[in-house]
Amino acid sequence: MALLSSDTGSFERGRHRNRSRLSALPAIRMAACALAVLNAEPASAGDTVRISGLSDVAFGSISNFAGDSVQSQSLCLYSKSPPANNYRITASGSGPGGAFVLSSGSATLPFEVQWSDSAGQTTGSQLLPNQPLTAQHSPTGAGSADDCSSGPGTTASLVIILRSASLSAAASGSYNGTLSLLVAPE
Amino acid sequence: MKALGNRKCWPLIAVAVLAMPGAAFAATQGTAGSTSTGSISISATVPGRVQLSGLSDVAFGTVDPTVAAAQAEDVCVWSNTSGRGYTVTATGSGTSNAFTLSDGTNTIPYSVEWAGSSGQSSGTALASGTGLGGLSSTATNPTCSAGPTASASLIVRMSAASLQAAVASSYLGTLTLVVAPQ
Repeated sequence: MALLSSDTGSFERGRHRNRSRLSALPAIRMAACALAVLNAEPASAGDTVRISGLSDVAFGSISNFAGDSVQSQSLCLYSKSPPANNYRITASGSGPGGAFVLSSGSATLPFEVQWSDSAGQTTGSQLLPNQPLTAQHSPTGAGSADDCSSGPGTTASLVIILRSASLSAAASGSYNGTLSLLVAPE
Repeated sequence: MKALGNRKCWPLIAVAVLAMPGAAFAATQGTAGSTSTGSISISATVPGRVQLSGLSDVAFGTVDPTVAAAQAEDVCVWSNTSGRGYTVTATGSGTSNAFTLSDGTNTIPYSVEWAGSSGQSSGTALASGTGLGGLSSTATNPTCSAGPTASASLIVRMSAASLQAAVASSYLGTLTLVVAPQ
């Protein structure tokens, strides 16, 4: 019995501890949410970003199935987020769930997206649909125009790749799709 | 011009432009703010193409005239049409593209068969210069270097009767195969 009482007492104390933990959970959750919000928000209310200088990508008629088809472009990524003027970029395609696919009727042609935080690049870090690429740096900031009309003319590179294997596996047709790019200061 | 100048027509014109098939989507530029979003259109045309690869020369060697000779080989036909369809047309090096081997003076006729899958020892007989259609390929790579390693079978035969009628000699010929998207 003593053992049982002791066990019961221990159980009760455990329940109280659990109640305390349970009562603390909303506060912990709120703190976690606040941290998450703080993490997602700009470091400062005055932080500003802008993406511009984007061009449509037209691969035209593919003549070489043995190699990848690659198109890159330099564009203006302005970020005024002191001290580093860093930003994050998130891409989404027009496929299901934001997938990077072109479509021709029911046929699809996947593509890859790469990003570089330097202009004039033909390769970069691979972007995945709806997944931000963080810690990107812009040489712009205070004193630069947000459309890069002053300061560096272009600051980043966007690379679109149609892989050979995808081209070979695709049915003939005219494929179209869209790519959206969302940037936020860090 | 008069219609264009009529403001009542503008909504109709706008709808017509939006409804135009293949109307180009222009890149949109982001605006300055706490976030910024831009978008582009991406387009590519994949033309209908086929490729025939993996062909090997056929050497019957010394044949026994009392026994029909046949050789089959796996080949790769890749087609990217919506149904992966293709036609195949064969021509020989004989007179009027006949399927014949020659020693310079004498000839031996042979026959050609095609099967739309690999690993076959018989198929549909081909007539010289006449396309065989209704075929589809399982190849996902133009040279079958990925995916299926072969997608069709080529069979060449010489009948015992032809061999028995032939003068003893060494015979040679060429067979040309043309595939086209279907």
